Amino acid sequence: MPPNLFPCRQNRREFVWQMGCGFAGLALTDLLCQDQFFSDIQAGESSAGLLPAPHFAPRAKSCIFLTMNGAPSQVDTFDYKPELEKYAGKQLPGDKEYINSGGRKIGYLTPAFRKFRSGGESGLLVSDYFPKLRQHADKLCVINSCHTDSHAHGSALVAMNTGKTLIGRPSLGSWSVYGLGSENEDLPGYVVMLDKRGGPISGQPNWSSGFMPGTYSGTLFRPSGDPILDLRGPEYISRDAQREQLNLLDQLNAKHFAERPGGQELAARIKSYELAFRMQSSTPEAVDLEQESQSTLDMYGVGKRPTNEYGRNCLIARRLVERGVRFIQLYSGGGHLEETWDAHAGIESNHGTHAPEVDQPIAALLTDLQQRGLLDETLVVWGGEFGRMPFSEGKNAPGRNHNPYGYSMWLAGAGVRGGINYGSTDELGFEAVENKVHLSDLHATILYIMGLDHEHLTYFHQGRKESLTDVRGRVVKSLLG
Amino acid sequence: MFGVSNQMMHLPANATIYLSALLLTGVLACATAAQSQPSDDDAYFDEHIAPLLIRRCVECHQGTDPAGGLDLTSQAGLAQGGDLGEAIDSIKLIESHLLERVVSGEMPPEQQGKSQALPAAEQTELRRWILAGAPWPENRTLDYFEKTNEVRAGRDWWSLQPIDRPDPPLKAESIHPIDSFVQNRLDQHNLEPAPKADRRTLVRRLYYDLLGIPPSYEQVESFAADKDPRAWEKLIDNLLASPQYGQRWARYWLDVARYADTSGYERDQEKPFAWKYRDWVVDALNNDMPYDQFIVQQLAGDEIEDADLSSVIATGFLRLGTWNDEPNDPQDYQYDRLEDLVHTTSSAFLGLTIKCARCHDHKFDAITQEDYYRFASAFWSGPIQSVRKNLGGPSEEQLGYKEVLGWTDIVAKPKALFLLKNGERKQPMFAVQPASISSIPDLEAKFASPPSGSKTTSLRLQLANWLTHRDNPLTTRVIVNRVWQHHFGKGIVRTPNNFGFMADPPTHPLLLDWLASEFLSSGQSLKSLHRLILTSDTWQQSSLHPEQASYEQIDAGNRYWWRFERQRLDAEALRDSMLQASGELSLEPNGPGFKASIPAAALEGLSRKASVWQASPENEQLRRSIYMYLKRGLLPPMMTTFDLCDPTLSCGKRDDTVVPTQALALLNNSFVHRRSRRLAIKIQDSKQADSSDSTDSYREVRQAWKLVLSRPPTEHEKELGLQHLQMQQELIQKQQHAEATGQETIKSNPILHLVPNRYKGREQTSLDGSAAGTFENVAKDPFWVFQDDATARPTFSSASIGGQPALRFSGNGQYLKIQGKLLDSPECTIICVAKDESGNGNRELISNWNGAAGNSTQSLFLGLTGENTIRFSDAAPQAGLLRKRDQAFILSATNGTEKSQVHQNSQLLYSGSAIQNRRLDTDWVIGTQGNIGGEYWKGLIAEILVFDRALPSEQRRAIEQELGERYRIETQAATAEQVDSPELLALASLCQVLMNSNEFLYVD
Repeated sequence: MPPNLFPCRQNRREFVWQMGCGFAGLALTDLLCQDQFFSDIQAGESSAGLLPAPHFAPRAKSCIFLTMNGAPSQVDTFDYKPELEKYAGKQLPGDKEYINSGGRKIGYLTPAFRKFRSGGESGLLVSDYFPKLRQHADKLCVINSCHTDSHAHGSALVAMNTGKTLIGRPSLGSWSVYGLGSENEDLPGYVVMLDKRGGPISGQPNWSSGFMPGTYSGTLFRPSGDPILDLRGPEYISRDAQREQLNLLDQLNAKHFAERPGGQELAARIKSYELAFRMQSSTPEAVDLEQESQSTLDMYGVGKRPTNEYGRNCLIARRLVERGVRFIQLYSGGGHLEETWDAHAGIESNHGTHAPEVDQPIAALLTDLQQRGLLDETLVVWGGEFGRMPFSEGKNAPGRNHNPYGYSMWLAGAGVRGGINYGSTDELGFEAVENKVHLSDLHATILYIMGLDHEHLTYFHQGRKESLTDVRGRVVKSLLG
Repeated sequence: MFGVSNQMMHLPANATIYLSALLLTGVLACATAAQSQPSDDDAYFDEHIAPLLIRRCVECHQGTDPAGGLDLTSQAGLAQGGDLGEAIDSIKLIESHLLERVVSGEMPPEQQGKSQALPAAEQTELRRWILAGAPWPENRTLDYFEKTNEVRAGRDWWSLQPIDRPDPPLKAESIHPIDSFVQNRLDQHNLEPAPKADRRTLVRRLYYDLLGIPPSYEQVESFAADKDPRAWEKLIDNLLASPQYGQRWARYWLDVARYADTSGYERDQEKPFAWKYRDWVVDALNNDMPYDQFIVQQLAGDEIEDADLSSVIATGFLRLGTWNDEPNDPQDYQYDRLEDLVHTTSSAFLGLTIKCARCHDHKFDAITQEDYYRFASAFWSGPIQSVRKNLGGPSEEQLGYKEVLGWTDIVAKPKALFLLKNGERKQPMFAVQPASISSIPDLEAKFASPPSGSKTTSLRLQLANWLTHRDNPLTTRVIVNRVWQHHFGKGIVRTPNNFGFMADPPTHPLLLDWLASEFLSSGQSLKSLHRLILTSDTWQQSSLHPEQASYEQIDAGNRYWWRFERQRLDAEALRDSMLQASGELSLEPNGPGFKASIPAAALEGLSRKASVWQASPENEQLRRSIYMYLKRGLLPPMMTTFDLCDPTLSCGKRDDTVVPTQALALLNNSFVHRRSRRLAIKIQDSKQADSSDSTDSYREVRQAWKLVLSRPPTEHEKELGLQHLQMQQELIQKQQHAEATGQETIKSNPILHLVPNRYKGREQTSLDGSAAGTFENVAKDPFWVFQDDATARPTFSSASIGGQPALRFSGNGQYLKIQGKLLDSPECTIICVAKDESGNGNRELISNWNGAAGNSTQSLFLGLTGENTIRFSDAAPQAGLLRKRDQAFILSATNGTEKSQVHQNSQLLYSGSAIQNRRLDTDWVIGTQGNIGGEYWKGLIAEILVFDRALPSEQRRAIEQELGERYRIETQAATAEQVDSPELLALASLCQVLMNSNEFLYVD
């Protein structure tokens, strides 16, 4: 029998969290620790019993994943390909194999729709879709050699979030919270904020905890008012009246508990009501931007078009990081086609709409995190579920089709090397060729930066130790400073 | 030492490395223990060498494509060597490649960065064997799975062994056989079972166990008072005969079958008629269908001799998995679908994780990679190719039935299924012959070709027959364990979907086998098994034990069953119990599922706004939770909060979490508040029925306890309850007063309040010379509504409705525009003062329709159609009939999180489910339908108010009253029952507290 396993082959991490410590709740662990239930603490796990310990010193406490839903075009944003100008109007060389997603028209090689310019001391090239972000060029670690496993939005989004193209697995955020816990018991550890236009294709499975307990699921946060469900009851129940309800409940439960000695689950539930009562004020407070100065609001573009919405979300993300939330995912683009970065109809019309929505807010987020000394311990990830083709969708057609073979993402903060391009696509920007970074490599690297070993962060499920990266994934240490 | 080192003396120089490696690993020191050279005795090989090779080497060095070309399962393989030449150097044995690579730590290769180098003792063993010439018993072939070792199970694993009916160990007179087994284990550990639970505890436990809903107070008391010695058995029989039994237990099977009503992924299409499968399971359980038939029909209901509609519906089991209509590679996706079928079937029926052998032999269990493909071959001829039209299933013609979500083979002679190296489609190894898995050698069977003329391969039938073979030990052990688990909260094997090496070992292996053999002799009747378990003392013992504290030290997990385990209600039982308490639970069985109300905030996660989630009418939502429609992309939050499992994979046991979001849901969710209020009304209405208490409040408190907790309150609780009523009445009164006096501010706080005026200060006139009119917004951020096209402006009419000004719309192209977004969510109140002068056709008061922007079915508008039908968006196309059509009216449309309503002059005309999923980012217009260029209003509009929330009725009524006075329109006076009294709400508050109590949530 393998050692160090709890009944049902759960390791302690699994056991603790199953008993209710994912979302905000440390109640039961507390009790169990008091009872010295965990006399046998495993290596790699905290003896304090409250939070699972990382596998090694974390570089980031939190991660903000800026998800560009719909897939931005790499050759128009972060992957400069001068050769495309030379070969403009020609077809992609015939020896390149690829899936023509959706059976669209295959057009001609088309150079970037906006000019690339160098930014910062590093001279990193960023196109004019992101002029404000370019001012942070020295912070950006651009990976130009990303590749993934699907050309279709539905399965590629699920893969970006959960590591595999099939739904039903825990997402990156879930793994982070499972591995590290949440530092704020009044807030969920994994927060997802969607674009007003809608959710990503495939919906809930993108932030699901899959086969892990629901405690690890991403919690959808609304950017104003009540960020989560069930924070307020009907109006006739004032806070005082609810306090009165809880008083009665406490008395009834206390007697019930006294008659059932040893009922740890009963005690945990009693405590969960106190947490719930507190969350009713702590969660709205987390999204209350009234507390922010006008200059901060202006920096993020809050209250102005077209930056208002993503600006709010970015600012809230910073507030959540300050409050110890582990993983925050902000979607740009929602719904389908042109409502997202899915620029079939035209790069300029599409990216020309979406980029200005996020450029200033993301730049502000990086500035703000840095000014507050949070950037060193916060990993910022930017990217979409795949990239786009270097060729058009027909003669003089202004759009580009899906491309999972080569695309760009960038990291910033948490001590990653700034101002660099890592890996590259071929001269046309079609597929990753040098220092290729598979999606699972990226996942392994993100976990690594957060202090987790992707091969050892496992969850035993139906006969198998499951992990985010499964049999793939390697940490790309060259990205780290 | 040194029989070995003598030989080493002759080593050439290049062996130094090897030598130092030996020294480093301490092999030499260990070798001193060996007294003699290994004999060439076969027994020695079997005892020492075979286990070593099997454990360390054979995983890779076997099969048709062994690693490095070296097969270590036979003497021939060893003699032949590998790609790098001889494994054993017959001249210089000590230089044998096999030994060198092992000693250097190269082999076995490291895994996840960890060296797998052999421990010194094993290295010694291997070296001794090789130095003896690597003797191999004649005809001895090593089988990777021949024996269980410390890293994996072999074919001798306990769950694969035949079931030998054991005798109950204790022979005491009249002891129940189950208790005999359990008591025996307790005796061994000097533990005493808990005393029997009291009758009231038992009856509640039994109702939840068998029906999933609690007994009424009267049912509890009647059982408590029943002196019949057979009362318990009779109650069990009664409940087993109730249709509610199947509705409770079917849900467990639906978890195992990964049941949901949609396909998942981007389009998340409905799986049409999936609910017929759900009803089939309910019926099968209620009719106590023998378990073997239950299996055969689900796997091969189309192939059996007496196949009929019902058995074909059962094959829906194979259709319930997720299905992606746009997989990355449709060829690869076929294999993913195979995996879903293999995994669901093998974990459901066998408790084996066969899917783990898709790419290689199972790491932990006696399942070869070929077994995986053998098992998969049963499904290979089915509709696993992506055919969008049929949602991954057969066509109606292929199936032979209409309106059934069923499965059948598409061809009777499919192309061969190849074993794929590493599971990769482009690396086929050899065609696999359909057969059972090889894990149980005595049962291993090749599957025959179908009889000639057969439309199907008959492979699923053969698989089902193999699974249900009386000697198949897994099938019976697995189902018996599932049943035990749902009675006790935990199984005898606590990993119900996994009976393999990584499973939790059985707490009572003999009991498991006894139950299994009893189950077989009962004709595989689940109801008999329930009876057997429920009549045991083990099941009937208390969840409290006088020695709890000290027993916890000995057996914290209660693995010996010294007490019953207290259980939390699962999501379904919790929801059903609340409905039961409020008297609203509808027991309507069967048919399509109802769609639960889901808050707008949770709907934001949907990408495809066209697949609008429209909740079912309230009365349908009162049905039992098993009839709840489950959309994979949008599981009802209230249910997932209470651990409804993800329906992607087969789930044998739900999580049991304690998190504050559960408390938030029970404190604040409107479902809970509605049940509490209904219950309060029920209690108040039953005034006449019960006059035993001296005061109303006493009676109410008593009733609340009886209806929620099926018992009367204690004296102390009664006092607490009364205090609560009193406190809450005061607080609620205060709150209502605050709301009422706050009306001014609330009323002056619409997001839009339009009053008529002349267009831009009298300067403009319309073409016919009359004054052009427009609206002026007098709410916060005042602005003028505009219409640049002078011909499209309505006219200003200074004394129209009740002597007040209004705008007159011609019904022919006149309308006004408001740019930008008004509402963030569809929750709103729209109040219009208007007069209709048309009487036919679509005509709108206010609308944000914009087809080009994609909201053609998801806009929000208020208008009329036909003679007098009110339309409140496309989601409520018949929102009541306008009365007295020729007179001016005040029309109020409210849409909240739960319901939408329309009032005319304060009189309720319509009440329906909430309108959800609106697209609200488009511009608004008044007097037409969005940008459609039609559906113009003909008549007057005097005033429009829009609020970004559903106004409480008192507030709405107050506004209507004020408007009524201004425009001389008579509004219906408030009637008493429409505003909840503080007394009622205080009672509702008490009921809600009881529904939050641990006593309600847990079953002792």
